[in-house]
Amino acid sequence: MESIAVEMRDITKIFGHKAANDHVNFTLRRGTIHGLLGENGAGKTTLMNILYGLYKPEGGDIFLKGERVDIQSPEKAISLGIGMVHQHFMLANPLTVTENIMAGNFRKRQILLRKDQFRREVLELAERYKMKVDPDSYIWQNSVGEQQRIEILSVLFQDIDILILDEPTAVLTPSETDELFITLRELVDDGKSIVMITHKLDEILQVADEVTVLRDGKNVGCRKIDETVTKRDLSSMMIGYDIDLDLQSTHECTGDCIALSVKDLTVKNDKGLIALDHISFDIKEGEILGLAGVDGNGQKELCEALTGLRPVEAGQIYVKGDDFTGKNSKDFINAGVSFVPEDRRDVGLALDWNIANNLIIKEYGTDAFSSRGLLLRNKIKSHAKEMIERFDIRAIGEDALVKDLSGGNQQKVILARELNGLPSVLIANQPTRGVDINATMNIRREIIESSNNGTAVLLVSADLEEIIQVSDRIAVIYDGKIMGILPGRSSVAEIGPLMLGERMQRHDETASA
Amino acid sequence: MMKRRLRSSISTTWQTAVIVVAALLLGALFIAFAGESPLECYGVMLEGALGSMSRISEIMIKMVPLMIMALGVSIAFRAKLWNIGAEGQMIVGAITSAVVGLYIPLPPWLHMIIAPIFGMIGGALWAMIAGWLRVRFNANEVITTMMLNYVALYLLAYMVYGPMQEPGGYNYPQSSSMAESIQLTPLGAGLRVNTSVFVAIGVLILIILFWRSRFGFTVDLLGHGTKITNYAGLNANRTIIWTMMLSGALSGLVGWIEVYGVHFRLLEGIGAGFGDLAVVITLLGKMSPIGILFASFFISALLVGGATMQRMTAIPYSIVDIIQGLVIVLLITQPMIQQKLQARKARGIYVE
Amino acid sequence: MWNEIFSLTFLTSLLAATIRLATPILYAALGQIFTQKAGILNLGVEGTMIVSAMAAFTVSYFSGSLWLGFISAIVVGVLWSSIMAWLSNTMNAVQVIAGIGLNILGAGVASYVYRIIFGVRTLPPQIDPFPVVELPLLSKIPVIGPVLFCNNVPTYIAFLLIPVSWFLMERTTFGLRVKMVGEHPRASDAKGIHVTLIRNIAVLIGGACAGAAGAYMSTAYMNLFTDNLVQGQGFMAVAVVIFSKFRPGWALVGSLVFGFSNALQMRLQAIGAGIPNQLLLMLPYIVTIFALISTSRKAEMPSAYTKPYVRMER
Repeated sequence: MESIAVEMRDITKIFGHKAANDHVNFTLRRGTIHGLLGENGAGKTTLMNILYGLYKPEGGDIFLKGERVDIQSPEKAISLGIGMVHQHFMLANPLTVTENIMAGNFRKRQILLRKDQFRREVLELAERYKMKVDPDSYIWQNSVGEQQRIEILSVLFQDIDILILDEPTAVLTPSETDELFITLRELVDDGKSIVMITHKLDEILQVADEVTVLRDGKNVGCRKIDETVTKRDLSSMMIGYDIDLDLQSTHECTGDCIALSVKDLTVKNDKGLIALDHISFDIKEGEILGLAGVDGNGQKELCEALTGLRPVEAGQIYVKGDDFTGKNSKDFINAGVSFVPEDRRDVGLALDWNIANNLIIKEYGTDAFSSRGLLLRNKIKSHAKEMIERFDIRAIGEDALVKDLSGGNQQKVILARELNGLPSVLIANQPTRGVDINATMNIRREIIESSNNGTAVLLVSADLEEIIQVSDRIAVIYDGKIMGILPGRSSVAEIGPLMLGERMQRHDETASA
Repeated sequence: MMKRRLRSSISTTWQTAVIVVAALLLGALFIAFAGESPLECYGVMLEGALGSMSRISEIMIKMVPLMIMALGVSIAFRAKLWNIGAEGQMIVGAITSAVVGLYIPLPPWLHMIIAPIFGMIGGALWAMIAGWLRVRFNANEVITTMMLNYVALYLLAYMVYGPMQEPGGYNYPQSSSMAESIQLTPLGAGLRVNTSVFVAIGVLILIILFWRSRFGFTVDLLGHGTKITNYAGLNANRTIIWTMMLSGALSGLVGWIEVYGVHFRLLEGIGAGFGDLAVVITLLGKMSPIGILFASFFISALLVGGATMQRMTAIPYSIVDIIQGLVIVLLITQPMIQQKLQARKARGIYVE
Repeated sequence: MWNEIFSLTFLTSLLAATIRLATPILYAALGQIFTQKAGILNLGVEGTMIVSAMAAFTVSYFSGSLWLGFISAIVVGVLWSSIMAWLSNTMNAVQVIAGIGLNILGAGVASYVYRIIFGVRTLPPQIDPFPVVELPLLSKIPVIGPVLFCNNVPTYIAFLLIPVSWFLMERTTFGLRVKMVGEHPRASDAKGIHVTLIRNIAVLIGGACAGAAGAYMSTAYMNLFTDNLVQGQGFMAVAVVIFSKFRPGWALVGSLVFGFSNALQMRLQAIGAGIPNQLLLMLPYIVTIFALISTSRKAEMPSAYTKPYVRMER
């Protein structure tokens, strides 16, 4: 019993009509790194949010060092020695680093702030773990990597035994990831126990001592990590059956016509800093260009610029040979440029609206759905029925609200809208993020299908496997610059270094291949 | 789909009816607290509201402007623009339309066309200021419309004490009376209700059509966020400004109705309380035109009946405010309570 | 007329009236700084004030103790604003609507209860209001003395609340919690700050202060209660919070600006000056719009302003 840090028994948590956790058991041994593996939506984060007191479970018990505990709030979790670093950083931008760390670390019955004393303590702790931070800087002045450091520091301040990290590597470059893993090892040697949520098999094998796999809200097994464990074992546990992961783009790109051309494109981000720095590439009709890179290297800004949603500072965009620089989003839509945005909940979908309306938000002004200024409800309805059928959207009907659909089906609604009517160009930013493996495979198939029909596709993804599987050519972006363009089916070993900012040799030769 | 839509609209009506009844029951508690019989008092109220033709005429007098104003407010609300400045927009509309009647000599029939248009333009421009501030500086429209209400209020006071004051009057805060030829005509002898009823019917039909139109769809889309609006190829900023202007135009039209059909002149206090009432009606009507039609009738009847109740019983008129306040409070708690009930149902499936 | 306006007595009485008119706004605004900084726009201040004003008057009238009335008003303010807290933080209602609803309800309840208790009379019942307390020595200073140091105790308390609010906001853990909750509720929650609790407290502080403001209206500024005793002071307080950019010191300036323009208008009317004072009355509201523009542009508004926090959201 001594060696067990946390035990969770029969945890059940329900969202709407779906059980996110269905009688889940989970055991964390003291002094270990425990990987919590599962697909998106498998319930990993939910389980840990319950342990951290953010969610109240509908059923189940939590035992800490053998004693049953009731964790109703993060405050309680912290007092029990449980700390969590969330996937999205929990930092308030307009406040300073010290203030942010302070806000999570008030002493019991502390009333006065005592900023100076606290500032000193922050510096001491940072020194101890060899992390560089400027305690007086504002959060928005720090880079993503620095912000994660601040988060970890803030949690360590709480004098915790158990550290939960939710997808900590999602925003890190490979070398930053290695650094993080070294820090985690040190913490474990210090006697702390760590839960690391991830869906990346490599990371589990690289750093974890044990792994628990969740699928569809259920625990499907726990294993010790040793030499005998392979990626294949873990993936079949994670997915539940053997799925053909080797989907290959079967078509050969035959077209010569360039559908989308970008020349020396320079774009600024929301903070007014350069996000894209003189980027150039072409995509032919029927070609899929994969854009690999760590999140936040200008992908979002590129997609927005290519759909008229973000102003261009310099350079040109040509769609089918016509200069579209400075045109607005309506012009791009009219030219047949479709867009699957990264943030489907906020940008791509109206969650509180029904499927039928979501399907026509770009087209309701056309003669297909309106006449003399009035909308034709019957046409909208029959169109929705057709799309639901064709794209296999699982819903109770065309007037079901989009927020009630699963992530995969929500994405299908977007694809149905964007792929209907054969777009000449498709910009897809992280189209499979957050959807289950079946929907992922379907989405990839749809994208390949559309390219077979002549659509030029720009596929932006942080998932290298996806890029390699689907793309005809692979461009790598780093810090707003294209590091190189590789032929399709290049290996991770070839792409990896470029993602770190190493510029490719013989850049011009390969690019024209 | 038709069936489901019908079912959902019936259940909405049902829920709203429950809320109204609950508010009336809570109001009954207040009446009982005052030592009166709630049943008797509500009886007097009902009699006072619907007892005779002239009573119904009084209801219409209130209902026409309130419904038009609420229809305007609902346009902004559906776009999630919290325009609480209907009163200010109405006041400015009243001023601009009064200017036409007082200072611009035109044939009466032309007056009847130009004056309401001026009213609408006045209201639209006043609302546009808030829309523009939101678009240009991201200034919260709640605060700006609220401030503009006060500015309009003092602008009106300035006008009726200053440049537009009735010459040779007794220094009352009001303008001269409108010529009879350009006033709205009563529908019957001895009744106050006038041709503005037809205007209201026209506006109602137009707004029903509006929500089936392309622009109506755009406004609804804006209600789901500026990001998705831009993504869909529309200009969210431009839509915000147009939506505010349309919303304000209807309030401005009400300004014209009040000046030409009720008071026959511009005077201080012309819009008092209209803004709040329009918000209550918009919410009670669930922002749909037909819902607003019924809600405006209910609230107007409450106002007229409440006045009678105050005269005939010991219950003060403020019971009307209490019932309205309760209606709002109950309305805004309803979605959450419904959600909790549904969650409980779902929980039953998994946890025994 | 003009020499009347520029006389010393006119100036003194004008400034004294400014203080009297600014005090209730100051009370309410100081409380709303906390409420708004926590991310909640409570338009229901007006309603809280009128209910509290009624409570203060009624309790003072029957108990004969002004202070008992004052304290009851604060209690009523807290209770009344707890409805707002519940609507905005538990029911996640649209705050603007909740505020408007509570204003209507408040106006109704105050007037209703008052009329039930006191009936309809030709002359409204009156009490002896808070007396003026002249501070020794200080009150003898010309102009400044009668303006600043010849006031009633609730006024002095309001002024003392300015440094107290500043200290609470800038130097205590509670203040930082309030800021975090208004800026990034999800992060606050994750850091172990009880978002709903802090937001509720922030609303209740606003309610207590609005309660004091209401009490001031019926037992210090006036000595009676009428239905339209509170005419826009609650909204002015909301405006002052924006004007002051959430800083207690500047809230005083804002309150004085509103107080001054109202006082000037009343003085001018009293001496029958034909100056278009309505245009003057507009000014504070226009200034507030400009202040809002500047705070919005520099993103100084709390990021979660008017946004309910839902933890279960996925």
